[in-house]
Amino acid sequence: MTSVIGSRAVREDAWGKVFGQAKYPADVNLPGQIYGVVLRSPHPHARIRRLDVRKARELTGVAAVLTASDVPHNSHGVLFRDQPVLVSERIRMVGDPLVAVAAESPETAREAARLVEIEYELLPALFNPEEAMRPGAPALHPEVHGESNVLYHLPVVKGDLAKGWASADVVVEQDYSTQMVDHAFLQPEAVLAQVDERGHLVVQAATQYPHYDRGEIAHALGIKVSRVQVKTLSVGGSFGGREDISLQLVAALLAYRTLRPVKMENSREESFYSHCKRHPMTMHYKTGATREGKLVAMEARIVGDAGAYASWSPNILRKAAIHATGPYEIPNLRVDSYAVFTNNPWTGAMRGFGAAQPVLAYESQMELLAKKLKISPVEIRLRNMFRTGSTTATGQALTGSVGLEECLQKVAPFLWKEGDRE
Amino acid sequence: MVELELTVNEKTYKLEIEPDERLIDVLRRRLGFTGTKEGCGEGECGACTVILDGRTVNSCLVLGVQAHGRKIITIEGVGDRRRPHPVQRAFVEEGAVQCGYCTPGMVLSAKALLDKNSDPSPQEIGVAMSGNLCRCTGYDKILRAVQRAAREVSGK
Repeated sequence: MTSVIGSRAVREDAWGKVFGQAKYPADVNLPGQIYGVVLRSPHPHARIRRLDVRKARELTGVAAVLTASDVPHNSHGVLFRDQPVLVSERIRMVGDPLVAVAAESPETAREAARLVEIEYELLPALFNPEEAMRPGAPALHPEVHGESNVLYHLPVVKGDLAKGWASADVVVEQDYSTQMVDHAFLQPEAVLAQVDERGHLVVQAATQYPHYDRGEIAHALGIKVSRVQVKTLSVGGSFGGREDISLQLVAALLAYRTLRPVKMENSREESFYSHCKRHPMTMHYKTGATREGKLVAMEARIVGDAGAYASWSPNILRKAAIHATGPYEIPNLRVDSYAVFTNNPWTGAMRGFGAAQPVLAYESQMELLAKKLKISPVEIRLRNMFRTGSTTATGQALTGSVGLEECLQKVAPFLWKEGDRE
Repeated sequence: MVELELTVNEKTYKLEIEPDERLIDVLRRRLGFTGTKEGCGEGECGACTVILDGRTVNSCLVLGVQAHGRKIITIEGVGDRRRPHPVQRAFVEEGAVQCGYCTPGMVLSAKALLDKNSDPSPQEIGVAMSGNLCRCTGYDKILRAVQRAAREVSGK
């Protein structure tokens, strides 16, 4: 029997990539293709008062100028269809797509987009999740998510907190916050869409989620799923940023309307506007331990900024809650994790999927507790870490192998010097 | 439109381009060398690296007309499946390729270095590769691949 462990495996597509042969969506073309661009909102919160595309349509070389009324079913989203293909009335973030243009050249398409006339009614915007979750804050999604901007709340409760605090000899309480981050995958979004000889819509893209894209395209256009084919070409990095559908929908719409192959390529700047971001989280932590350095109680409140649309926010704040203790056993705890709508760029999947942010909080708490207790940062972790047989905050019994102790013993000499207590 | 004559991968092309056309667009759109990638369009990422008269340049920051009468090497002009360049073999064998979008630019930067200096120090490799961004690998395997290729080229 051969074992893959210890053997060297060559990436299946590595050779094609070192010769520059791998095809990313920007590298494929079709005869007679036209070029699509999206006009996006410069405002975080506004109503469209007037939208006039006549001048754009009249420009020579323009094949189509489409607005919300041209989209048969104007919604998409991985968990909730709360995101418009093209905004009909209410703009919820900078970068919201308003108008799709296709023309004989990318330059003409961009020029036409500049000729679109829009009058906005600017609305006060919510940028702070704490303000957005207060009662009375204007609801950003009354149609889909009701009158509250709190999209998701998960409480995690274990043990007896009063008992836990009573047995704590030291307590540290602290606020932590992380920032919004872009994946900045190296290959900006690109897509080639066409209606082929069968009358099927064929969309070539770099996507993490082709079967979902297929359903979203069929839904938005009101056609059968069996008439939509999504081909995943080489994907130039994604890190979660290509889980939500992006240009695929607009390109499909333009191709379906014009019956011409439609090519779209984001510039780097457009790429920043057109995909999700990592959730900024604010985390209030209170952790208690005995004199011997055993964790006995924790309360944490985690608020994640979902931005303008839901995307994967409930799943991400769920993961943040589940990971809120870190790899440490705490018998008595309460965690409250929230995802809240604001007018910031929408947030979604990114490496770690909500597990990355709480690390800052729970590991900092361990450092602060070690200092207070005058024990080493390694020691406090050894006294509390998950081992085989441990039970997590959500009641999961870890019955398999837990290699954490072995791992920490190996890396500790590189992280802390002997006698490092302060 | 202006006339342009340039040599790409040892073949000479004569064509007409717009005076404000970037070299990357001449290579990708007009000549079909799509191995040259655009990542940022402002000279930060190095995905569009090509070798121009022996020196690496960001082809998004060079006008097509600036390449008039000059020799360009793109990734299509370096190695093939039967005879890969040592840099290409090392990238595959060291696991230095993930999404691959930075790879053509990385390979060309490494090749340009080794063409001039077959026995570079780790510092010299670091400097030569500093204009190419990678979001996947964390660079370690890329730097190891360049060192491995250097050992092969120098016979050490």
